[in-house]
Amino acid sequence: MLLSRFWYVLLGLVLGLATFMLFLAVSMYNRASTRTLGESLSSDSQVVSWYLRDDARQSSARLIQFEVDQDIARSLQKSSDSESKVPEDARDKTLAAMKKINNAIPKEDQFDAVFAVDQAGRVVGQLGYEQASGQADFELGGYSVVADALRGYIRDDTLVLDRIYRVVARPVEADVGSLPAGAIIGARIMDDRFARELSARTGAAIAFYANGERASSGAPEGFATSQLDQIVGDLGGLDKDDEYRDKGRSKMRTIGGLLGVQYSRLPGEAWALGAGFAVARIPATVDGPFGFFKVADDQDKHKANLPLAIGVAVVAAAIGMLLSVFEHTLPISLFKSEVGKLARGDIDQLTPSRFRGAFRKLAADLNDGIDQMLAKGGGPRRGPADMKQVLGDIPDQPQMSAFSFPGDGAGASGSGPVHTPPAKVLPTAPSNPRLPKPPTRGGAPAGHLEMTMPEAGAGGDEETGQRSRPELGNWGAAPPDQAEWHAVYQEFVGLKQQCGENTDGFTYEKFEQTLKKNQEALMNRHGAKRVKFSVYIKDGKAALKASPLKD
Amino acid sequence: MSPRRFSLGGGARVLAALLVLSIPATAAAAHVKGRFEGFRLLQNPVWAEAKDPKNHGYSFREPVPTVRAEFRRPFPYIPKELCLVALAQSPQKPPKPITVSVGGGRTTPVTIVVPPGTLLSFKNTDAFKHRLYGVGQKTFLAGDTNKGATRDWSAPAEPGTYEIRDELAPSLRMWIVSEPNAAAHTFPSMKGEFTVEVPEAGEYTLQAYFSGKKVGAPLPVTIKNEAQDLDASRTPIKVNDKAPPPEDKAADKPDDKAEPKEADKPKEGDK
Repeated sequence: MLLSRFWYVLLGLVLGLATFMLFLAVSMYNRASTRTLGESLSSDSQVVSWYLRDDARQSSARLIQFEVDQDIARSLQKSSDSESKVPEDARDKTLAAMKKINNAIPKEDQFDAVFAVDQAGRVVGQLGYEQASGQADFELGGYSVVADALRGYIRDDTLVLDRIYRVVARPVEADVGSLPAGAIIGARIMDDRFARELSARTGAAIAFYANGERASSGAPEGFATSQLDQIVGDLGGLDKDDEYRDKGRSKMRTIGGLLGVQYSRLPGEAWALGAGFAVARIPATVDGPFGFFKVADDQDKHKANLPLAIGVAVVAAAIGMLLSVFEHTLPISLFKSEVGKLARGDIDQLTPSRFRGAFRKLAADLNDGIDQMLAKGGGPRRGPADMKQVLGDIPDQPQMSAFSFPGDGAGASGSGPVHTPPAKVLPTAPSNPRLPKPPTRGGAPAGHLEMTMPEAGAGGDEETGQRSRPELGNWGAAPPDQAEWHAVYQEFVGLKQQCGENTDGFTYEKFEQTLKKNQEALMNRHGAKRVKFSVYIKDGKAALKASPLKD
Repeated sequence: MSPRRFSLGGGARVLAALLVLSIPATAAAAHVKGRFEGFRLLQNPVWAEAKDPKNHGYSFREPVPTVRAEFRRPFPYIPKELCLVALAQSPQKPPKPITVSVGGGRTTPVTIVVPPGTLLSFKNTDAFKHRLYGVGQKTFLAGDTNKGATRDWSAPAEPGTYEIRDELAPSLRMWIVSEPNAAAHTFPSMKGEFTVEVPEAGEYTLQAYFSGKKVGAPLPVTIKNEAQDLDASRTPIKVNDKAPPPEDKAADKPDDKAEPKEADKPKEGDK
């Protein structure tokens, strides 16, 4: 059982260690995931910024087609020269030229709105901005992006008007070396279409916001854009973010633990108005050790060394089973087998040396228990010892009825032929000192165990009928057992005759054979060196009593 | 800056008298013509701030090489931003309400000088709302002005300069100068020429205002009668006589005048 217990302890330690490592892994995974999320969001934010800048440059390049058109240039110059109002023919020519150029531009590259303004900032012609249709005094000259273009600069801007506009502008020159005749301005609305296009090209989930509201959003496949609505509730806290306030880009923020967001301000006037864009990702954190099953995809599961895990489990289980069989099943089976033999009468006692561990002790205790029960006269089922079971079916042979154990100092001692009167053989306590001492019987010395034979004749003392015969042994030239047994034989025959029992055919040879068998059995059971036999009368019949001697 | 009285002496007086007499009196009010100089060296404060990269006003801003450097400055659009006012010798009554259009990223005019109590009517000409407010003004708190709507406000009785801004349009800044003696105001053409109409005869001082501040020297004029037209164009008002900003000079520097590279510098022993 020691190995099994060691294995259980080992398994427990391994299980505890595995649990600890799992929680450790969860913590490390979440920390790494958060760091990666922050880096990813920062990367997304920069990519979006770069894209917006690059897109603005490309858009400004597309404006060259308008810029170099002579009709537009001349019309703008004419309008600039007319301070009072924009000449109608200049409007018409400008608009016609703009339409012609715009139609030649691929649809995906077209601006949502294009404006041609003169030096006064008045809009001479425009496409796409229906809100200003028919408005004669519509102008854009106050915006710095337009003013810069009218003064010889190409630049971009982000304006927050009725919507968010990404604007690029460049000057239109009628005569090289003179003040630009006007400027051409292209604008794209940063609506959902723009956001989706941006998301598709950058791979980021993105939302534009202005005036504390989400203006538009776009997200890659698998990311619900409705999740980006959560930024509205988070925008109010941006003012407390030093990096956002000073550098225009916030730290990574987590909304409700479900969405990682980083905010960036848009360049241009939108910067001052607090408009910007947010990139978002869903954190890939795990709730606990079992959370890995939720976040792991098929590729992760494929990379996991499942055969090794199964192998470790099988080997651990096999070792446990092996130890269990070796330390549990086999000893129990052996014990069961031996007890079965004992129950069937194949053996009279268990052999403790055949068992290991606790079973050895159990066997010894069981033997002691049997002895104690025998000493008490046996239980209801076992009944008194039947000499026929012990000695076999012997006609007219004496039947053992009891065993007596010599007491301290009682009985024969020494190796020499000693005549020990049966009357002095006292019942002794069982080998287990915890067992109760046998009761003393009348006529029998204290410390002797005694069993009576049903056929035993009456005689002996008044209570047990035992009659002690002090002179049983014959310690002559013959071996001690032979001489003693002869004496016992004579005594037994005489006692049988005295009791009126038939002694025909009851020879000494049979008697001796029986005693030998009985002696051997008792010596094996009790580890006695020899056994003393004595005769007595019980229930009116002659009976034999065997006393194992350990001296 | 001490006012420089527009006084004509000697032959010039005679010339001026002949000039005045040569101008036909076509209206009941007197007219004073003049012109500005140096206005290209003024800087619109909004645009000047916007070009500073620290303000994150753009992601890229590049000059067009074919446009001369002298034009690549944030000079104002003076027909809206440079206001000339004729200051009388005594306080003036508020004129009729003045409409200020709000649109295109600015107001028209940008700077105006009016007597206290002058009613200003801000009209939104944009397709979206504006939210104007007076900086530090409790009488002009932020409020929405929708498309086509107007919002009135009177110039405060306390003389001074009052700035109007828009919470929704950072580029929109307007300056209202409440000047008790402001008898008339006008705005120049893109060439800097102006004509101011004064209601009655008297002594006036012509003063230019830009971004709510006085620019250039005051020019005293005397209108002897209501039918007089005075031409002061020969004595232009220099609104800025400072040298152009250094960045404009640097922008003019051609590439071939750039600093020679280390490898191109003449070495010792070279002939």
